[in-house]
Amino acid sequence: MSKFEQALADKDFVLTVELDPPRGVALAPLLELAGRLAPRVDALVVSDNRGAMPRLSALAAATRLAAQGAEVVLTLTCRDMNRLALTSQMLAAGAAGIGNLLLVSGDYVSLGDHPGAKPVYDLDSVQALGLAVTLASGRDLAGQELDGAPSFCLGAAVAAQSDPLPPQLIKLKKKAQAGARFIVTQPLNGLEELQGFCRQTATLGVKVLAGLEVADPGQRQGVVGLLREIRGSGLVAGAHLSMPAAQDDLPALLDACGL
Amino acid sequence: MIVAQRKDFEQIKAAAADFRKVLVVGCGTCVAVCLTGGEKEAGILAAQLDLASQIKGEEKSFAVACVERQCDLEFLDELAETVLDHDALLSLACGAGIQLLAERYPRVPVLAGVDTTFIGINRDVGLWEERCRACRSCLLTTTGGICPVSLCPKGMLNGPCGGTRQGKCETDPERDCAWSLIYERLAGLDRLENLSAIVAPRDHGARGQPGRQVHPAYLRRYSAHE
Repeated sequence: MSKFEQALADKDFVLTVELDPPRGVALAPLLELAGRLAPRVDALVVSDNRGAMPRLSALAAATRLAAQGAEVVLTLTCRDMNRLALTSQMLAAGAAGIGNLLLVSGDYVSLGDHPGAKPVYDLDSVQALGLAVTLASGRDLAGQELDGAPSFCLGAAVAAQSDPLPPQLIKLKKKAQAGARFIVTQPLNGLEELQGFCRQTATLGVKVLAGLEVADPGQRQGVVGLLREIRGSGLVAGAHLSMPAAQDDLPALLDACGL
Repeated sequence: MIVAQRKDFEQIKAAAADFRKVLVVGCGTCVAVCLTGGEKEAGILAAQLDLASQIKGEEKSFAVACVERQCDLEFLDELAETVLDHDALLSLACGAGIQLLAERYPRVPVLAGVDTTFIGINRDVGLWEERCRACRSCLLTTTGGICPVSLCPKGMLNGPCGGTRQGKCETDPERDCAWSLIYERLAGLDRLENLSAIVAPRDHGARGQPGRQVHPAYLRRYSAHE
């Protein structure tokens, strides 16, 4: 069991932060930032070409973070990799001691900065969870025995504020069946978005982490207040914080939240 | 039907620049219905090319022919004599038709005058919409007659991604989310249980590229000779 999975089981409220690898080879600032954040949160979630914009490989960054002792959740997106590539990445993650995966479809390529790229989507997120479970069972998707099986705590994403919500819930149920243990919501705007959602997901047996994003560093007070409300509501198992425009300010955000 | 759109005129003119006698070959089936490559459109394109070359003072000719289906050898034979008299064929058929024309007349350069866009429906005169990716693993029975492979940009098989907003797709606020449509249709039919099972990854290996399909009667007819 990964440390993060243990925290999900033991703690009333877990906390993760999202880190983007650099758009270039300069990893040192990320490693330094991660070193300051790791002791204060339950896991560092490394994003994978977030927003369909290429960056240094999530696996490479996550491997370095894990090597310096951080508890890491590696995001892998179905947009950029077919089942062969996802298999290799999952095995490499397992070999690097990365025990947690967040498996997502991924924003469509036209939303990013390489809109002419060929989108892959060989697997969807439900099928990618199935792949990870299959690998953990000691076989690949072709049924061949692995020389050493990885072990993962698996997560998926959900849009709690999706409209209509029922199709989202149908898929979420499949994600839980396929092996997801935790679910990260897309960034929320208010507590009310969680209330209806959590009523309908209570029986799925997955831990929900409320996604909170500081889009504009000058507006972080809203997120600080919302985090306090969400924590107080007892609706979810934890929160996932991101500051895509200024991740260097994540320690200050944690300070402001009193965490 | 196959839908196509005509290439930009400058692009076609540049492709035809090296040739003196060009035969513009229309196709009377799908591309005629989508007002791209039928007899009328072939005539218009030939006239445009003719005018452009006259303005430049070039001595060129652009003749027009239209066959019933360029994707069928039977209809291509009728061009044999005409082709002899030309040094390039400018096809307005879909990609399949262009290729068969090139195969049938290997000594003559074949130019593409259209871009094939999709397999679609005729929504209205002048409006066509994609409906099929020819994926060879049709899911329409379970998805309420609405195709997630062609209508969802991500081709999601197990439900919507997180990008749905008010029933619209994250790639375009004007485009319906295929999975919202599928949900509504099945809810209306009281058949939502169709969506409860996890759909396994598609077998792209079974697809085989390039595709080939043989009718059993064809096998019976020719197996004795092989």
